[in-house]
Amino acid sequence: MIRRGKEAVREYTVERYQRQISLLGADGQETLRRARILVSGVGGLGTIVAAYLAAAGVGFLRLVDHDQIEISNLNRQLLFQATDVGREKSIAATERLQSLNPAIQVEGINRTLSDETVDELIQDIDLIVDALDNFTARFLLNRAAFIHRLPLIHGAVRGFFGQATTLIPGRTACLQCLFAHSPPPETFPIFGGTCGIIGAIQATEAIKVMTGQGEPLANRLFFWDGQAGEGTIMITKRNPHCVICGGEEGVNQDSH
Amino acid sequence: MKIAVRAFADYREIIGKEMELVLSEEKTIGELLAELGDRYPGLRREMFASTGELKEFINIFINGRNIAFLNDMDTTLIDGDTIALFPPVAGG
Repeated sequence: MIRRGKEAVREYTVERYQRQISLLGADGQETLRRARILVSGVGGLGTIVAAYLAAAGVGFLRLVDHDQIEISNLNRQLLFQATDVGREKSIAATERLQSLNPAIQVEGINRTLSDETVDELIQDIDLIVDALDNFTARFLLNRAAFIHRLPLIHGAVRGFFGQATTLIPGRTACLQCLFAHSPPPETFPIFGGTCGIIGAIQATEAIKVMTGQGEPLANRLFFWDGQAGEGTIMITKRNPHCVICGGEEGVNQDSH
Repeated sequence: MKIAVRAFADYREIIGKEMELVLSEEKTIGELLAELGDRYPGLRREMFASTGELKEFINIFINGRNIAFLNDMDTTLIDGDTIALFPPVAGG
């Protein structure tokens, strides 16, 4: 029997997301369908985060990156095939995710994140994923996220180490409260599994924040040490004098 | 007074995961790190430039706050402080 229209869509949706609807509820799934998420950076972290968000049924994903796929990306950027080398990351990832989940909308934008482009890139977005590879761009994104009051899911990796935290304007420290400097640019060593761990945490955080499930990594920095096989939580605090988020009712509870 | 030092990543391999120090007099974080550097030359090489300056992008937090936004290396330690040392992690 062929089902048509809304009924067919509903059945497809229920079946596709069956294993998570039992966790999120039908309302939670509907929230994801309506969610609009920006994944900034489509590299080791961005490919993993975007894959989980697309598979989970986030209704709109905007993928932004200005790079082309290089053969040395393939040890970790699992959305790309060997035949994709030379193509634009944002476009190749969009095609791949669109075929993974045709029910969602994926928009790939091949552009550099800058003061000039950031406002347009976060337009109509509910939540931002920081999957960037440098702190200069991260600080820029953090500023825009704070101004527009958008949650920002931070992740970063190097070698066997990684970190993640969820930044919620008005509620938590912002990225500029936590980190003061941009480390010098480098071709950083990286192991694919590290991206998988941090990217999966970021995807989980994004879904938690969108649906209100669980307790986000708010004012907590998760630090992963893959060499020791150990994750640690560091409690973090707002900087009441922060150049980005200070000045409003930032309450400094500690004695320093 | 008691100070806890938690080290992560590369620093953990040098000084161990966590140590508790008992200080008999008031110290700044700069003085404490200099002493740790004397005790662990490997840590000094990792954290300080040959001029003796702290490499600025190293993350040093006291009770969840980056010292860059406190009094930097002149931040005075108080009883019960927890210091976290971790390297910059910036890739994506």
